[in-house]
Amino acid sequence: MYNPYLKPGLKLSFIVLILFCSPLSWADRVPLVAAAASVKFALQDIAEAFHRDTGKEIRISYASSGNLTRQIQQGAPFELFLSANHAYVEQLYQQQLTRDHGVIYALGRLVLLTPNESSLALDGQLNGLAQAIQQGRLQRFAIANPKHAPYGRAAREVLRQQGLWKLLKPHLVLGENVAQAAQFVTSGAAQAGLSAYSLALAPALKNTCRIQLIPASRHQPLQQTLVLLHNAGDSARLFFIYLQQDKARAILAHYGYMRP
Amino acid sequence: MDWTALVLSIKLSLTTTLLLLPIGIVFGRWLAYKQFFGKALLQTFLALPLVLPPTVLGYYLLVAFSPNKGLGLWLLQTFGSTLIFNFKGLVLASIIFNLPFAIQPMQRAFAAIPRAIREAAACCGMGPLQVLWKIELPLAWPGIISALVISFAHTLGEFGIVLMVGGSIPGETQTIAIAIYDSVQTFDNPSAAIMSFSLLLFSLITISLTFWLSARYEQTHD
Amino acid sequence: MTEAAINIKLQQRQSIPLSVQLQCQAGELLALVGPSGSGKTTILRAIAGLYQADYGVIVCANEIWQNSPDKLFVPAHRRHVGLVFQNYALFPHMTVLDNVRQSLADVPKQQSKTTALMLLKQVHLQGLESRYPKTLSGGQQQRVAVARALSRQPKVLLLDEPFSAVDQVTRRKLYRELLTLRQSLAMPMLLVTHDLEESSLLADRMALLHKGEILQTGTPEFVAAHPNSATVARLMDQQNLFTALVLAHHEQTKKTYLRWQGIKLEAAFQPQFPVNERVCWMIQSSDILLHRRGRPSKGDRENPLQGRIIEYMESNGLANIRVQVNCALKIDISIHVPLHVARRNRLGLHEDIGISLLSNGIHLMPFQILRRDT
Repeated sequence: MYNPYLKPGLKLSFIVLILFCSPLSWADRVPLVAAAASVKFALQDIAEAFHRDTGKEIRISYASSGNLTRQIQQGAPFELFLSANHAYVEQLYQQQLTRDHGVIYALGRLVLLTPNESSLALDGQLNGLAQAIQQGRLQRFAIANPKHAPYGRAAREVLRQQGLWKLLKPHLVLGENVAQAAQFVTSGAAQAGLSAYSLALAPALKNTCRIQLIPASRHQPLQQTLVLLHNAGDSARLFFIYLQQDKARAILAHYGYMRP
Repeated sequence: MDWTALVLSIKLSLTTTLLLLPIGIVFGRWLAYKQFFGKALLQTFLALPLVLPPTVLGYYLLVAFSPNKGLGLWLLQTFGSTLIFNFKGLVLASIIFNLPFAIQPMQRAFAAIPRAIREAAACCGMGPLQVLWKIELPLAWPGIISALVISFAHTLGEFGIVLMVGGSIPGETQTIAIAIYDSVQTFDNPSAAIMSFSLLLFSLITISLTFWLSARYEQTHD
Repeated sequence: MTEAAINIKLQQRQSIPLSVQLQCQAGELLALVGPSGSGKTTILRAIAGLYQADYGVIVCANEIWQNSPDKLFVPAHRRHVGLVFQNYALFPHMTVLDNVRQSLADVPKQQSKTTALMLLKQVHLQGLESRYPKTLSGGQQQRVAVARALSRQPKVLLLDEPFSAVDQVTRRKLYRELLTLRQSLAMPMLLVTHDLEESSLLADRMALLHKGEILQTGTPEFVAAHPNSATVARLMDQQNLFTALVLAHHEQTKKTYLRWQGIKLEAAFQPQFPVNERVCWMIQSSDILLHRRGRPSKGDRENPLQGRIIEYMESNGLANIRVQVNCALKIDISIHVPLHVARRNRLGLHEDIGISLLSNGIHLMPFQILRRDT
């Protein structure tokens, strides 16, 4: 009797190891979709509808468009990409990672948001915001990271246009993607922020924040682009088509997306 | 709540830990018993994950396995997939990241066995493998177990590396730590709360169980 | 050279210098004696296969265990050696019975159990087979170690200072047990020890080691009485070590004459030492006679000396006396006499005393500079 746990322990380990070495087989059949964080709630509803209509499942990975582009370049096994702008899709096309230039399926909008209980005045010209800065009532302002999030770049454009960029720069909190930027505001880490309209209509945000839609003329259009990647399977192609049909469009409209 | 992420995390931790068992034993034993040229350098390398931020390791893994050139390209052509953005890649990253947590306690455990006992075993006619099985492993077992527990717990909590080389793919690389992060980001606090709590509970149970086992073992052998 | 003997030759320059050549016969117990660092444990480990000397030829019972010219080295687990370690190195996670059974792994379970129990009985440990090593006393652990070594049916039994970790009383008991046990053993036995008394009690022959070299081999009594150098004499703990000048050798009377500090001494005939040359000489305490008080010295003819007792210690039934011989230079001679003799002669500190040095006990050695001990 040396160690009573040694032999049974090792036997159990081997069984477990063999069992778990087998890949999750269902993963191969379910297509993998890369989607910009801004389209999360809309896409979830569309995916549910897709499942009801076709019985098929899809798996979705959300991140900033820039991050997803990088992952695709590094060989991530996505089959379909929903980007928050067109430039990233073009980039991938140039690298022959996509089937074509993609389809612009919607136009995204920016909103200025602040928690319900804040005293910040919201308006399309961001005057209230300028006031708050001058009066020192604003410590932190959240946007998505312009480096890899199209909504972040659009936010920067808007702020520059209003001459607020330099003023706000020391107060900026950068979210990894546009959803995290919004989360900074709802959690109170930032007193205000610029995020996606499509996210603002989600219940969690709608009930806790006041929002102000930013006129589309203030920034380059946020062309939400849909593209199939070169290894796309049948289910992915099916979903690609589904996303351009009426039911999907209705859901997109519900979440504040404009038709292209 | 979606249990996939928790199952995936457990699967990742178990696989990593079980693979680290032979790796830890081999290296721990080798470092405990042998002197050789370059030993200090090797030990330094093995200790790197203790001090390096996970993002550094993540970066090097991304560079090494990028499918556009070199090793990544070869892997892609030979096996059809690289070692990033899939479960196998996470296992590799986890193993590398946990090397010091697995090897150092095992090394100490082996080094604590008096040399005379191993020599006495040889004089009893036991070859090196028999000495390992009958003498060294039973005596080093508590150290080996703690190495495995630490590695298991550490992998369960892994975040930085998984984020960098995993890509948050549900069922493949979206571990529960990532899933919690995602949920918080998308205002799904109830999900985040449930997942966090279940992870906490699971970790508590695992560690308590191991300590209890370890204490029982020491009782019967001390 | 009988078949069961073991032949050892080891050479090494660096780290642990070695230059030895040894043999041990079947059933013979050879003691390797020497101060720490003299290489005795290294030699034992080399025989066991736990250490590989740069150059070695080890042949035991017609098995070649090491042959450097052929680059042959049989590892420890393939040699049949029994090694009793200094701290016993018992397997702490196994019972006494299992400890002893490890060498019997390829034997059917029931048989190995019987054999092990028999061995345990041989070392007087019956009844303790289910105990764990940490619950045993030092003496019991040592016996387990011996039983374990014997279970291997070794071609040579090696003991590395196996008595050093126990107290005096236990040690004496273990000596007696070993002496009994070895009568039933047919293999050569090598005992490493730094204890001269142990060596003279247990060993048939001894090899005196110093800095990796064997200075002298022979029975312990012989080496003590006839050291071939002053270094050996020192290592054998000889107190009475001096220098002298050879005066003459007389063929007829078979005597050699020395001048020692102005005293003329008559020694045994040792003509190999040239006249008018300096030599070292020694005499054992057992060759020094005490002149009896009040009785004129009759047989106390040989090399009579007068002196004064400057140290007197009683221990273990012996009186240990240091006598300062009446000379200009203070020279001390140590003698041991039985206590009753000392008492009868009313010996004590500062008493005057007469002693005689038996000429046959004066043993000459080549000259070397002697450190003056305090």
